[in-house]
Amino acid sequence: MIATLLRGVLAGAILSGTLLLYATLGEVIVERAGIVNLGLEGILLIGASVAFAVASVSGSAYLGVVAAAVAGGITALLFGYLVVSRKANQLASGLALMFFGSGVSALVGKSYVGGVIAGLPKIRVPWLSGLSWVRSSTLFNWDILVYLTIPVALLAWWLLFRTRWGLGVRAVGENPAAAYASGRRPQLLQYQALFVGGLFGGAAGAHLSVSLTRTWNEGMTAGRGFIAIALVIFSKWHPIRAVVGALVFGGAEALQLQLQARGAQVSPFLLDMFPYLLTLAVLLAWGGARRAAAPAGLGRTFYGTE
Amino acid sequence: MKNLKLGVVPLVLMAIVCLFPAHAQDKPALIVGAIYIGSVNDYGYNRSMKDGLEEMKRNIPGLKLIEAENVPETAESERVMENMIQQGAKLIFPTSFGHMDFALNVARRHRDVFFYHPGGYKVEQNFGNFFGKTQTAWYPIGIAAGRMTKTNKLGFVVGQPIGYALGNVNAFQLGARSANPKVQTIVVVTNSWSDKAKEAAAANALLDQGCDVLAMHVDSPAVIIQAAEARGAMSIGFQSTEARRLAPKGWITGLGFTWGKFMTEVANSVINGTFKPGFVRQGIDEGMMAVAPFGPAVPPDVRKQVLEAVDKLAKGFNPFTGPIKDNEGIVRIKEGEVWGNDKMGNFDWYAEGIIGKAK
Amino acid sequence: MRAAAALRALRQIAAWCLIALRYLAVIVVALAVFSLILLVVGKDPVKAYADTFAYTFGNAYGFSELLVRMSPLLLTAVAVALPSRIGLINVGGEGQLYMGAWLASAGALAFPSLPAWILLPLMAACGFAGGAVWAAVPGILRAKKLVNETITTLLLNYVAPMIISFFIFGPWRGEESSSYPQSAAFTASARLPSFFNTRIHAGLLLALAALLFYWLVVEKTRWGVQIRAIGGNPEAAERLGIPLVLYTVSVMAIAGGIAGLAGMGEVSAIQGRLRQGLSPGYGFAGFLVAWLAGTRPAGILLMAFVFAIITSVGDILQITQGLPYAVVNILMAVILFVVLGRQPGRRETR
Repeated sequence: MIATLLRGVLAGAILSGTLLLYATLGEVIVERAGIVNLGLEGILLIGASVAFAVASVSGSAYLGVVAAAVAGGITALLFGYLVVSRKANQLASGLALMFFGSGVSALVGKSYVGGVIAGLPKIRVPWLSGLSWVRSSTLFNWDILVYLTIPVALLAWWLLFRTRWGLGVRAVGENPAAAYASGRRPQLLQYQALFVGGLFGGAAGAHLSVSLTRTWNEGMTAGRGFIAIALVIFSKWHPIRAVVGALVFGGAEALQLQLQARGAQVSPFLLDMFPYLLTLAVLLAWGGARRAAAPAGLGRTFYGTE
Repeated sequence: MKNLKLGVVPLVLMAIVCLFPAHAQDKPALIVGAIYIGSVNDYGYNRSMKDGLEEMKRNIPGLKLIEAENVPETAESERVMENMIQQGAKLIFPTSFGHMDFALNVARRHRDVFFYHPGGYKVEQNFGNFFGKTQTAWYPIGIAAGRMTKTNKLGFVVGQPIGYALGNVNAFQLGARSANPKVQTIVVVTNSWSDKAKEAAAANALLDQGCDVLAMHVDSPAVIIQAAEARGAMSIGFQSTEARRLAPKGWITGLGFTWGKFMTEVANSVINGTFKPGFVRQGIDEGMMAVAPFGPAVPPDVRKQVLEAVDKLAKGFNPFTGPIKDNEGIVRIKEGEVWGNDKMGNFDWYAEGIIGKAK
Repeated sequence: MRAAAALRALRQIAAWCLIALRYLAVIVVALAVFSLILLVVGKDPVKAYADTFAYTFGNAYGFSELLVRMSPLLLTAVAVALPSRIGLINVGGEGQLYMGAWLASAGALAFPSLPAWILLPLMAACGFAGGAVWAAVPGILRAKKLVNETITTLLLNYVAPMIISFFIFGPWRGEESSSYPQSAAFTASARLPSFFNTRIHAGLLLALAALLFYWLVVEKTRWGVQIRAIGGNPEAAERLGIPLVLYTVSVMAIAGGIAGLAGMGEVSAIQGRLRQGLSPGYGFAGFLVAWLAGTRPAGILLMAFVFAIITSVGDILQITQGLPYAVVNILMAVILFVVLGRQPGRRETR
């Protein structure tokens, strides 16, 4: 009995957590460069609508994912123009980006609302998916984006901590003036970080529309972008810890539905609040430690001589 | 300043357009307005409404239809309806239940415009109410599910736990149980009539629990049916019979609305000046609902049993005849008591064999 | 002397005109950009703008709807502007509005037989309290340097509507319509009066009062000067002996309370009961209004009016051009982009 509940929650956690992880990884890279992008929700929406539109028209969900990633990257560059070149307030710009994403996604997705597509094909892992405990669930029978989550997280970690580029990005996030003084170009690095973050965000949105639901409707991300922003804090700006965070929060989403399916005598509305309250609780618990872990220059605008 | 110069152009254009009078068009026989809560491409409720309106339009030459999709169930909808009246609409179908109070406000301000609202309960001189007798119609559908399941676990995804939805689940379970005494129905609530991500996760959760047939009461059955089909389970559709195209293998049957006949009657009554507001509830036999075609996997004896039940309903059978106990053992419909149409919204309990929390 | 005074007055008027022109220029540029977007998707922007103009200004009902929309917008904008003076970012207008609606409904449902002149102020007080508490929690967390208020207010936006759903499906489920997700209807004494046979309601007066309060407090009182000092430099303010925690929490609470009043207005005047979907994004729109207005009270009034018109553009687009209402969010975003990008930001601490 417990085994089936565990299996259901794990399966649901992986499915729901995939897009949370991609979004979080993107935002980790961006925040490491010192920028807070509250408009992540907007990028997710644009990614979801573009992916669905392209998949509907071309018949290829893979193409949809690529298009979504590119769209996310371009949107992030637009945001970058505001906060890096024009030195606008990051929080207000982020919220404006959220509005922008909401509107653009509605426009792009308009002709495809309610349509259905085949979606990303599922790939079965030969031996593992046949195991008796696994067999009747969705475990090890996933689309490519799910399989790529761990490799991509490792890639993000490697990028940030094992390359010169990552060193530069982190330096800008800690102290842009010092980074500039040591010969780096903070603005270029921030643009690049934003672009990569946008690629990830667009792919995250794509997973929602071309894999999880295989459809599109307005506002379908329902605040997941903001949960991702909280997840960045939860994972202390570290890509590998983000994997745990995404699983926990994906699990919270899945748990409430699995509990209902087992006849739990709790109001579905109270269960619904669980992911958000968990996020808040975690932020609270992390409170003090967070300040030490955050990039020192997070949210500050660089007024250097560029 | 560059900014100002750019901005002058739209202002000037606006001014020019305002000065040009609108050219007259041919006068249509009737202008009908319709507002949908979602998109008409949903294989579900909105699709059924659109199909009904299109049928009405085909039946009445010279009828003009103005529509607005994605109109939320809030005070915003009043604005949209007022706008349609401005454009000459004389008959309005506010197609979602939650549009009721706002449509009523508009109706009170414009007594010369007529409204027929689906699913509500208020009636006034220019405001009527109609819906299908869904609850009883779910009974034969339940029979189909009860016969087809191999795990004896049926899954039901509910958007919001309103009385009518609970009634649907109850009839479904009662029907299933009559054909298969061991069957159980598990209910998962998504708290929204169309949250696709939740629907997908809910469907997966039910499948994880061992259900092999999924039914639903949400605006669009598409996501849930696709989830079932992807994992080799069977599905039952609701709202529109078109949904069967999504599940070529696993489709059992479904329940759809066929509003066209009734809508044509209402439109004609407005044109002839014989509009009569009422509390209209019609079932399968009166043409407002239809049982969807059966899927390829359904054997002939199951089809026969289902159609026999439909026939029984037409002859007056009501599945909500006491004694009926709820899933905690309490008797909810007493011996000899029958719950008719007027009580279909009063369900706040689940029948025996249903796993779920009603409130 | 008179000539000098007249000259000063003229200069002041000229300054105001220039400010208004700058606002106008921003709007016009944004409209132009939005027109381009509409053209790209094959829609007719000129017709859309013309239709909007005709509907909002050529039609008494349409114009009255602008004022109906402005009432909650003014309140949620003040709810953002006030904390911004102290350096706080309150994005929780939506949630605070809902919690205000919730507590006001509690008052209406608990005391249905009270006369209006007691019940309405009681409901207003409840509305204020509901929003205030909802904002005070993030305020406390921020004051104790635990969590940034931006993210807490954002997350709480999603929790508030669920609390309302819980109550209207459960303990507060209405009797006469027991099957539907709404509370029982409020008694007549719990309804804010409307005017002129439109939906313009007394909430507008509350909103204007809140705006006046905001202006008075921030510009004219010593407390206002103090919180502006904090906004400029928190560390210095602390050294001057201003109790930061107290101010942070109280300002957030007052701001949340003002947003809560918007919820009370919606539920008392417009809806007449508690149900879901009370706010089509008033909280977020209020944020944009406050930002564009540069937190000046007159600017808030003007921008709320402009935003009300813009939302009408959304309705028109939906009905006559077949575009989803959400597309108008692009216009709002572009307006903010233009303002944000107009000049390199001034130096600011976080």
